[in-house]
Amino acid sequence: MPIILGTLLALVSVAVIAYPFFGSKRYRMVSESFVTREKLRAERLRIYRKISDIDADFTSGDLTEVDYLQQRDVLRISAAEILREESGAHSSDSERDEELEKEISRLRDQTAQPREGGDTL
Amino acid sequence: MADLGVMALLLGLALSAYSAVGAVVGEKMRMAELVVSARRALYMTTLTVTIASGALITAFVRNDFSIKYVADHSNTLMDRAFVWVAFYAGNEGSLLYILLTLSIISTLAVWFAPKRLARSMPWTIAILAVIQLFYFGVLTFVASPFELLDSVPVDGRGINPLLTHPGMFSHPPLLMGGLIAITIPFAFVSGALIAGNYGDDWIDVARVSAILAWGVLGTGMLLGAWWAYTILGWGGYWAWDPIENVALMPWLVLTAFIHSIMVQKRRGMFRMWNVALLNIAFVLAQLGMFINRGGPVVSVHSFAASTLGIIFLTFMLASLVFAFALFLWRMPQLKSDRVMESFMSREASFLVNNFLFLAVMAVTLWGVLFPLFSDFARDVSVSVSAPYFDRANGPILLGIVVMMGIGPLLPWRKASARSMKQWFIWPTAVGVLTIVVLVALGMQRPVAIFAFGVVAFVAASISEEWWRGTAARHRTGDNWPMAWWRLVNGNRPRHGGYIVHLSILMLGLGIIGTNFYQQRTDGALELGESLVLDNYRIEYVGNGDSSRPDRIAQWAEMSVYRIDPDDYSTEIEFARSQGSSGFTLEESQPRPNDELISQIQPWHGFYPDFNMASVRSGIRSTIVEDLYVIPRDFLSDGRVSLAVSINPLAWWLWASGPFFILGTMVALWPQAAVERRPTRRKIPDDPEGDI
Repeated sequence: MPIILGTLLALVSVAVIAYPFFGSKRYRMVSESFVTREKLRAERLRIYRKISDIDADFTSGDLTEVDYLQQRDVLRISAAEILREESGAHSSDSERDEELEKEISRLRDQTAQPREGGDTL
Repeated sequence: MADLGVMALLLGLALSAYSAVGAVVGEKMRMAELVVSARRALYMTTLTVTIASGALITAFVRNDFSIKYVADHSNTLMDRAFVWVAFYAGNEGSLLYILLTLSIISTLAVWFAPKRLARSMPWTIAILAVIQLFYFGVLTFVASPFELLDSVPVDGRGINPLLTHPGMFSHPPLLMGGLIAITIPFAFVSGALIAGNYGDDWIDVARVSAILAWGVLGTGMLLGAWWAYTILGWGGYWAWDPIENVALMPWLVLTAFIHSIMVQKRRGMFRMWNVALLNIAFVLAQLGMFINRGGPVVSVHSFAASTLGIIFLTFMLASLVFAFALFLWRMPQLKSDRVMESFMSREASFLVNNFLFLAVMAVTLWGVLFPLFSDFARDVSVSVSAPYFDRANGPILLGIVVMMGIGPLLPWRKASARSMKQWFIWPTAVGVLTIVVLVALGMQRPVAIFAFGVVAFVAASISEEWWRGTAARHRTGDNWPMAWWRLVNGNRPRHGGYIVHLSILMLGLGIIGTNFYQQRTDGALELGESLVLDNYRIEYVGNGDSSRPDRIAQWAEMSVYRIDPDDYSTEIEFARSQGSSGFTLEESQPRPNDELISQIQPWHGFYPDFNMASVRSGIRSTIVEDLYVIPRDFLSDGRVSLAVSINPLAWWLWASGPFFILGTMVALWPQAAVERRPTRRKIPDDPEGDI
């Protein structure tokens, strides 16, 4: 019995690893453009996360207003540039500008405006 | 079962070899089918190892003593609950368990890997497959758990008695799992470097997998300390044993990494440093495998002698060469163009904390390696004992705790003198006040008092962080609990980290209390006699024994009384004059005011087959202190020989565990996406791109 099970396991393994060569599905390497888009998307999400973090830092008093606004502007510009790169291949200039404006306005809405002075760090 | 196990391992060996070669050749020749096939082969290794492990467990359940490993590590008397423990009770089973863990986490990691890492995935798969190949090779050719005996014994030898403890169900698996899990971040980062992906794409995968390995390893170490405290019968929990040290060292480096990776995430700095840290952690994990499984040192933790040393040493050296050759090759591209703006910044504090962690690691590494070097070079056996580690590492560890308080109070980039004063004044005041109060209370030991002050300083700094953030949110309209929840939820890595810091403070309390204020005494009692230590009287009221085929067990019934020291002033004075902290009382001597507070039953067993003794300490635990009673021996004249200690704040050592796990989980819990892309149209996917 163990021999039969072992043989069965070997056959299943061979079938599983051989399938990409003989199955009906055709495989190809992920394209460079797709990888680039994925990277840009991930980078953009990281920047949004940073914006959220500095927002929390400012609310907690960990950032001065000057530092907060400066860092937020830098990050927003980076996000906008990435957004422009992401949209580049698929939209016209006007569409891209429209999308960018929407994104920035959403960021502005989401990021709480400083309510406390924060003579902090 | 042995045949099935052998076949599964052989098949796994072939699959991992195919996976390694296929991934590299497929990537080089741009053959997607071959890369997909190699990835599938990696997945299939999980199935083969699972079947091999299942075969071994079935052999244990069926008492199949034709298999040497089963005969060596179980017998018909063994409780079936311990089959899981017996599975990894020896080297062969441990290696199979390590391979099982590695194959499962490799499959999960590759399966869930983000597609942006597609370019580097073939290399990551190849690295994982090569490491699996090593373990398959060892298990197939050198240390097979399915080796058959020429003649089948009637019964097995039985399980190592030290392993028959609840902590053993999770301590070894977590420790081995944590060490091998370091492979995952290492494979992802190395794969990215080989593929020429120098950016930050690997940050999230590396951070999450490193924290997982770190959390598992940390929990495993804590459980091991608890196991040592309750079963080994020496009254301690950490002995700087080489096996403990080789788990501690990668944990320390991972701790440095999960701090500095935040700097890379937040400020785009320390990329090269982080790669180096992961490399060091991985090589140290291989050192751990070498010392654990290769058997160069004798330890209570290495359950079986081994001849695998040279094999594991070679693999460790190969890992070292590969990791740092790759690092040196890609180093120019890893440099960050950002600079540290001020030493009064959070990133600077992380760097200092990193250096301190590495300093503890280096001191510990020297203590581990020196006896090996001595043995090898001079053929002289030496051992480096706890005082070396305590003296060298103690001050550095205290420095790390200080940094735990300073770091969170510093902002990113730079701090002003005014803000420093503002944020440091409250924690510093709390720390100083703690020291003043402890001195006023007449506590001795200046170092310990200072350490308590440091703990208070850090606790106050965390409290201040939470208070400040919660109050700010409260002012925007949230009620207090909701404000705190939103604060934590808004940045889980940071606040999860604070919870872990609290657990470290709890651990620190236990370490300070037990190291600086422990009281010990010993004595041999007849029935009815008592041993007095501090304000405890332990009366020997009864005993029992049982004889089983595998062991002879004896236990003592002890009544624990709280005493008023004034009632025993004469005896206490006399004991002090003799230089002793405790004394014995005859049956008629106890005072009537003594208050019975507990019954304990310390236990002592002897296992003739293993020529090994095992004890279960009698412990009365409170948040203030543990009364810890070790039955050293039951003497032929009816007396019991006891070692008794009072371990102040020992409870906090174990209480820190749940907080450590909670904080790790909070830090790991995925953050909700901050923003969703406002797509008018869907960006075309790459549906046919498979690797």
